[in-house]
Amino acid sequence: MRIAGWTIVTVALAALLLPLLLPWNYDQIDWNHVRAAPFTHGHLLGTDSVGRDLLARTLIGTRITLTVAGAAALVALLIGTAWGAIAGWFGGRVDEAMMRVVDALYALPFMFVVILLMVAFGRSIVLVFLGIGAVEWLTMARVVRGQVMALRHRPYVLAAEAAGAPPRAIIVRHILPNVAGIALAYLVLTVPQVVMVESFLSFLGLGVQEPLTSLGILVHDGAEDMDVAPLALLVPGGVLVGLILALTALGERLRDRLAR
Amino acid sequence: MRAILIRRLATAIPTLLAVILLSFVLMRSAPGSPFDAERPLDPATRAAFAAAYGLDKPLPEQAARYLGGVLTGDFGPSLVYKDFTVGRLIAQGLPISLTLGGLALLLALVLGIGGAVVAGTHAGEPLDRIIMLKATLLTAVPTFVTGPALVLVFALWLQWLPVSGLDGAPSLVLPVIALALPVAGAIARLARAGLAVTLAQDHVLAARARGLSPRRILWRHALRPALVPVVSYLGPAAAGLLTGAVVIETVFGLPGLGRYFVQGALNRDYPLVLGVVILYAALILFFNLLADLAYGWLDPRVRG
Repeated sequence: MRIAGWTIVTVALAALLLPLLLPWNYDQIDWNHVRAAPFTHGHLLGTDSVGRDLLARTLIGTRITLTVAGAAALVALLIGTAWGAIAGWFGGRVDEAMMRVVDALYALPFMFVVILLMVAFGRSIVLVFLGIGAVEWLTMARVVRGQVMALRHRPYVLAAEAAGAPPRAIIVRHILPNVAGIALAYLVLTVPQVVMVESFLSFLGLGVQEPLTSLGILVHDGAEDMDVAPLALLVPGGVLVGLILALTALGERLRDRLAR
Repeated sequence: MRAILIRRLATAIPTLLAVILLSFVLMRSAPGSPFDAERPLDPATRAAFAAAYGLDKPLPEQAARYLGGVLTGDFGPSLVYKDFTVGRLIAQGLPISLTLGGLALLLALVLGIGGAVVAGTHAGEPLDRIIMLKATLLTAVPTFVTGPALVLVFALWLQWLPVSGLDGAPSLVLPVIALALPVAGAIARLARAGLAVTLAQDHVLAARARGLSPRRILWRHALRPALVPVVSYLGPAAAGLLTGAVVIETVFGLPGLGRYFVQGALNRDYPLVLGVVILYAALILFFNLLADLAYGWLDPRVRG
């Protein structure tokens, strides 16, 4: 857990701060040194097929991937918590209907629904995270619902109800604070899922658009040049895998600790 | 058994219909029209085109007509691949994708269950931990990283296998492996967790007390109940394989369904994207249904 946590903090800080120290911008073209080898002409990782510094691009790509993932996970948190809390609180028919919807959505090919959205409304970065967030909330809704149902009949909740507090106030004041921990764990677990989806879309050219970049685009570009410049594939690929592993490990640990 | 089937169909069929209608409406509400060109068409020609494609009718009627077409296998014409209907593109791509996905599923089951059995028989030993660590790693590496990495090592450096294209069995080796690995990792984790539970149960203890060999206990008594979670994972696994195949077909240049889908999405070929999404939805619902039935067959308690 400690290793995972430090990995995430280090990568995030590097993506945030290191670009400020580099002499190259992520979209700046070094006309004289296209496809430069690593450690030459001031490019630590070399340049890509149009002469842009690979290190700068990897750092910015990581930043964008993490930003999109964080934003999408927050969207998922909002929808999932609201949906789960309402279903869990009211129970009965409402719960049955709302959870039936979740079950039905679970069975759908989500990646394709997001792609459908992209095709219909153009490929913008806002749509990328809204779309992903809108499809990744299902697990969150299930977890929150379970938690709310467990809390529903606790004495302090019954006391608040008996005292005449309206449901909204009880949910916001008494239920949600107690759901926050487990929701946080699942928020952390949602992030690597979103990272996967985002890089998948960007890899196919359907997510983040040039000249902006993300780890998925970098892996795609790296794969085109890998016979001459394997680092162009291995570095962004490595960062991507490391992030997914660290985030999953951290989320699972948090979940296991809070589940008791 | 039949009760399960009926109950599942009762949700699956409306879900599929909802997907078709929702996707259709989404596509129709997209800005722009297929007849937007650099030079605007004169209104009469435009109206003639709209009438030819039935676009002058009210939306519900169009939707009903599309739905009727889909049920008879008619997905309309492709906008980009001229002279091709979407149905024909699907008929060309689907066999390739199904072969790829089927082989990958088979490989994933063999690798995953095999790995879990080896790990389970060496419970607590370093081998167990190494295998499970590898399985976790595999689930975290996306197919669009494994695919190119495999090409780099086995096609470009070692030159054992072709880089891309569809040309006989050797050209399928790398795509199938790349597609199978994450699923194999997930199956190994599920089966290993299942084995940990069943190996600690009374009937296994009883078998051991009767002096059965560890191998026999594992294969005859512990493995089958341990595989129940694997079976319920097969629905999501099918979805994962379909999604993965989209990437793998792009990476390896295989003319499957996923490739058409990506091309269609990049070219805004609405009828093609719509047709493939509907087909994917139907396939995934079908595999979930199969998984549910297999689940009932394996575990009598859920038959109820």
